[in-house]
Amino acid sequence: MVTAPKSREAMKERSQDEVVVNIQNLYKSFGDNHVLNGFNMVLYKGENVVVMGKSGSGKSVMIKCLVGLMAPDSGRVEVLGKDINGLDQIALDQLRSDVGFLFQGSALYDSMTVRENLEFPMRRHRKKFANLDDTLPLVKEALENVGLAHTMDLMPVELSGGMKRRIALARAIILKPKLILYDEPTSGLDPITAKEIIELMRSIQKKYGTSALIITHDVDCARVISERMILLVDGINYIEGTYAELIKSEDPKVNAFFKK
Amino acid sequence: MEMIVRTKQFFMGIGDLTYFAARFFKQLVRPPFEVKELLRQCYQVGNRSLLLVVTTGFIIGLVLTLQTRPTLIEFGAVSWMPNMVGISIVREIGPVITALICSGRVASGFGAELGSMRVTEQIDAMEVSGTNPFKFLVVTRILATTLMLPLLVIFGDLIALYGSSLVEYFKGNVAFKLYFNKVFEALSYGDLVPATMKSFVFGFVIGLTGCYKGYKTERGTAGVGIAANTAVVMASLLLFMVDFVAVFISDIFYEL
Amino acid sequence: MSKTSLQNLKLGIFVVLGTLLLLIASYLIGNGQNIFAKNVTLHAVFKNVNGLQIGNNVRFSGVNIGTVDKLEMSNDTSITVYMVIGEKMRKHIKKDAIATIGSDGLVGSMLVNIVPGKGGMGSVNDGDELKSYSRISTQDMLNTLNVTNENAALLTSNLLKVTQSMMEGKGVVGRLLTDTIMGQDFHRMVSDLQQGSQRANATLTELQGLVQRMNMDKSVAGTLLSDTLTAMKMRTSIENLETSSMAVKEMAQHLEQIIDSIKTGDGLFQRVTRDTTMSRLLMETMENIEQGTRKFDENMEALKHSFLTRGYFRKMERESGDDRGKKQP
Repeated sequence: MVTAPKSREAMKERSQDEVVVNIQNLYKSFGDNHVLNGFNMVLYKGENVVVMGKSGSGKSVMIKCLVGLMAPDSGRVEVLGKDINGLDQIALDQLRSDVGFLFQGSALYDSMTVRENLEFPMRRHRKKFANLDDTLPLVKEALENVGLAHTMDLMPVELSGGMKRRIALARAIILKPKLILYDEPTSGLDPITAKEIIELMRSIQKKYGTSALIITHDVDCARVISERMILLVDGINYIEGTYAELIKSEDPKVNAFFKK
Repeated sequence: MEMIVRTKQFFMGIGDLTYFAARFFKQLVRPPFEVKELLRQCYQVGNRSLLLVVTTGFIIGLVLTLQTRPTLIEFGAVSWMPNMVGISIVREIGPVITALICSGRVASGFGAELGSMRVTEQIDAMEVSGTNPFKFLVVTRILATTLMLPLLVIFGDLIALYGSSLVEYFKGNVAFKLYFNKVFEALSYGDLVPATMKSFVFGFVIGLTGCYKGYKTERGTAGVGIAANTAVVMASLLLFMVDFVAVFISDIFYEL
Repeated sequence: MSKTSLQNLKLGIFVVLGTLLLLIASYLIGNGQNIFAKNVTLHAVFKNVNGLQIGNNVRFSGVNIGTVDKLEMSNDTSITVYMVIGEKMRKHIKKDAIATIGSDGLVGSMLVNIVPGKGGMGSVNDGDELKSYSRISTQDMLNTLNVTNENAALLTSNLLKVTQSMMEGKGVVGRLLTDTIMGQDFHRMVSDLQQGSQRANATLTELQGLVQRMNMDKSVAGTLLSDTLTAMKMRTSIENLETSSMAVKEMAQHLEQIIDSIKTGDGLFQRVTRDTTMSRLLMETMENIEQGTRKFDENMEALKHSFLTRGYFRKMERESGDDRGKKQP
């Protein structure tokens, strides 16, 4: 494993209680297809980490293991200090309310209006949001954050791809999570819209001070947003470092990512 | 070799479906109950299918009467038409035709809807949002079809009988009142009760297969089409099997 | 109004309408079976219900007034039919009404017909029993027995006449002895008569056994006897049979005496040859006797085939067969 020296030093500087995500020796395979072969990573509070890898390299699998959508074959996954695999349904739900998830294809519920989509994560707090008006300030706030306050009563089919992604982002942050997971936030978008989304992600992070784990294969996105990058190659964290460090790397497998 | 694999897959499919059904019953009794979504699905399944069911029912009643008339006239038994049509529609044709129509509309709809939700990660998004997607999507849908189908069958039966009475009125000069009088004279609870029970099971089967195929969709957008398609095929097939079993069971309680 | 509440409204209308239709349908079906109206239950006992089923109609003077509610086997040949009848019709059905089993047309289903009685009786009450009339009934059996009695009586009187005339006019016998064919006829007749009287005896004992069985167990005939009137009729008819067969026996003895006297006595031939009227009378009488015996046989046969006693005779046959089987293993 090649590790850039600077990031290792940076890691040591941080104190242990600030760890948000800690993945140790994560293994996951589908039949004969070994996707993850002992992946390790740590995400500290307030940090933006980009995990890069080719499609099919297991990025999505890794991020799904983080929220309990998939169970790893072996390995330890800790999110916000809790071991995901040891939690029962109720505790897992509680933990999930502190984690925002932006899905690859936005994953807005087609049969619901934008407002209902945004209200959906609040369903777990039925008592708190028993009255319909209670949710309105939160919905408005989240929509204003992504600059789409006027779309509240529209259906997802009436929105463009970029708008959908922004609504999805608004849905991910509506409960003000401590950690946001982005699964390919810019995929399927034109470069300008992608840039807008990245700007939004940054502004939201600044506003609420959240940590973010971004998985992408888009180098531009990684360059703009990442404070630290992890390259996922052959199922392991192949190399870690800042964008500037990695782009200088001589390793052919690393270079393959940055070649235009 | 391929035969063995296919047989194994068949039994695995049956087992998987049974597990899915068991999961439905387990989730059905456990709070929270998604009443709002249930009502929405009831509307989608019930009201939205009504026009289709009523149209087919009317035509079936009309055609059945027109086609059997010559034979009954030959036997001089044309006055038995209301009895014959009434019993055959209430017992068998009404529930089966309605269920088939609904399996075409609803099961494929569920297959496609849940399938696309699966491949676009909407189901995952629900899970992450702290809502049990099985309860929210599957339980409500299966329950909606189970509850709505008997009602649709009632409407279908009524309209089919109305269609039949129209033929009798214009061709045989049988008054509506006499027609329905004869129908209800011919019918007994032994006809109505098993048919209604059967309709509940039909509804359950339609909802179950539609949701099962949709919920288990794999392989992206192409999988959605497959899910919608196989949902209809499987639902129709299962409907006939259930019908077969239902006849046997109702034979135990009511001597046919 | 928002979209969801409009949907809920439509759904509500749909559900209410559907449920209402279901309720109306079940009400209409139930109405045909008298489930919701106020009802009274009547019952009648039949020997044979000819395939009557639960749910079949009950008609009173041709009007459908109710349905068959329950069929109960009281014992092997009596079936109690419970009928549910609308309370409104109760006052029209009098206590002397008679229930019969009929069918609705040639291919129609079975039904219970209630025929009004002679009138002058009060209306039936809930749980009353109606008189029943079955086509193959005790009446039929008693009719058969009566005919048998009448025939037996006729036969007896004829035979008595014969014997008396034989006692008085001895010329006949002389002619009998000269005329060989006539003599043979006479012999056959006498043996026929003997057979007849033996059969009459056997039948009598059988009948006595039957009557005893009737008294002992609760067979059909047992229930029959509970109806005192029928029992009386039956008893008198059996008694008649008994006396007539006694008479047959007596007459046969007379005949034997005569034959004996013919065999032993002499000098009678002249008188017989002279008295032609007498001999003609004798021949007629003998023909009568033959007819009478045949009729008696027929009657016995009829009794054997009669609905009620048939089983008993069969049993007798079987038992005698069994006895034989035991004797010759």
